Amino acid sequence: MRVSLTTHGGLAAPINSRRPPRTLDTDRMPAATAGQLRRLVAAVLAEGGGGRPDRGRDAMTYTITIDDDGRAATVTGSDTSMSAAFGALLSLIERQTD
Amino acid sequence: MFNCITPPFILNKLLDSSDATIRGAAMDTLITTARLRGQREVRGLIAGALVSPAAGRRSVFDCANSTFLPFAKLMRSEDDGPVADKSVNQAFEGLGVTRAFYRDVFQRDSIDGHGMRLQGFVHRGRRYNNAFWDGQQMVFGDGDGKVFADFTGSLDVIAHELGHGVTEHTANLEYRFQPGALNESLSDVAGSMVKQWHLGQTADKADWLIGSDIFTPKIEADALRSMKAPGTAFNNDLFGEDPQPDHMDRYVELPDTDEGDNGGVHINSGIPNKAFYLVAIGIGGNSWEAPGHIWYESLRASTSTTNFQQFADTTFSKAGELYGASSPQQQAVRAAWDEVGIRVGSEPTLSRR
Repeated sequence: MRVSLTTHGGLAAPINSRRPPRTLDTDRMPAATAGQLRRLVAAVLAEGGGGRPDRGRDAMTYTITIDDDGRAATVTGSDTSMSAAFGALLSLIERQTD
Repeated sequence: MFNCITPPFILNKLLDSSDATIRGAAMDTLITTARLRGQREVRGLIAGALVSPAAGRRSVFDCANSTFLPFAKLMRSEDDGPVADKSVNQAFEGLGVTRAFYRDVFQRDSIDGHGMRLQGFVHRGRRYNNAFWDGQQMVFGDGDGKVFADFTGSLDVIAHELGHGVTEHTANLEYRFQPGALNESLSDVAGSMVKQWHLGQTADKADWLIGSDIFTPKIEADALRSMKAPGTAFNNDLFGEDPQPDHMDRYVELPDTDEGDNGGVHINSGIPNKAFYLVAIGIGGNSWEAPGHIWYESLRASTSTTNFQQFADTTFSKAGELYGASSPQQQAVRAAWDEVGIRVGSEPTLSRR
């Protein structure tokens, strides 16, 4: 499973949009972390998505694309409206790609 | 469903009335109008009006790297002295300077004009590269330490975020296309005026940069944006060239998506930013005097869908009301908009949203 994160918006929106996506591949990470990533992805997908989030002024938005053996899904969240599961997935991706 | 005879924007204006009876009546209408109950903008107005005795008291919270604000710990409130945490103190001082600016320059009591509490949240997230206004409070990240430094280190960024609160409680400009770019520009105008007021700088002595303190020393960039010369704030290998236009001929058409920055709200703001800079230089002296008053009164006279042309026309008529028809101030306003490709009093020639 490959997971990639792009970040948009924020006070520095034009700069954020130009930075490369952060990408993780479960084949290239320790089994324990890969398991954690799969569980968090499952939790976020189970919540379903829906509509564009609230437009907080200067809030950042996050698009996470999941590609699992040809099946693709995209979920989004923002600083002012994200679920606990989305927040946990986001911080795992950020930590693993620093 | 109940119907509200008084449009919300009128109630909104009435809540700003200096007459307590009028404010009270407007409040009653808002509260009893079921149609409006629960809407974000009305919730904000009611919350603001109910905390009027707070006199803009400051509270700064430490998120301790969490992104969940309710877990944050109160570190410093209005009557407390400095604490050990530099970010807490910087946010506290920045909010205090901005509050004093609105009080002394525009006789505005805090964000909502009625003493709304000022709440700042610092150390949000881990290496978080941003600061934002969420409709209730200002939130600051530490920066990643590679590109961005602590966002509380910049007074103009703090005033920019508080400015979003003031806009939400006045015109409440929607956050997309031209009204959104105007919303962004008005926050940059607030940020630069507060910085210049704090430093006692006249318009010709100021740098007109937004966020000059938020990059780490390693990064080759002057700032996030330049109001004096939009499009020149940065140009480096890491994130390219500043995309802000300084004229309607270079207006950037973008879609209303996350990727498109809601139609370029942080990009096309360069055009009204440059207009404000030109007005300040044209009139001369301090930006927060005539230029600031013309802009502030125009913000108060705007609505959620005001576009560049309409805002330009409003600044022209406000300059006339405040300083007289054909006054040097009014002429400076016309000349400034002209220079960025907007002719006051003319119909929009471009059907741009």
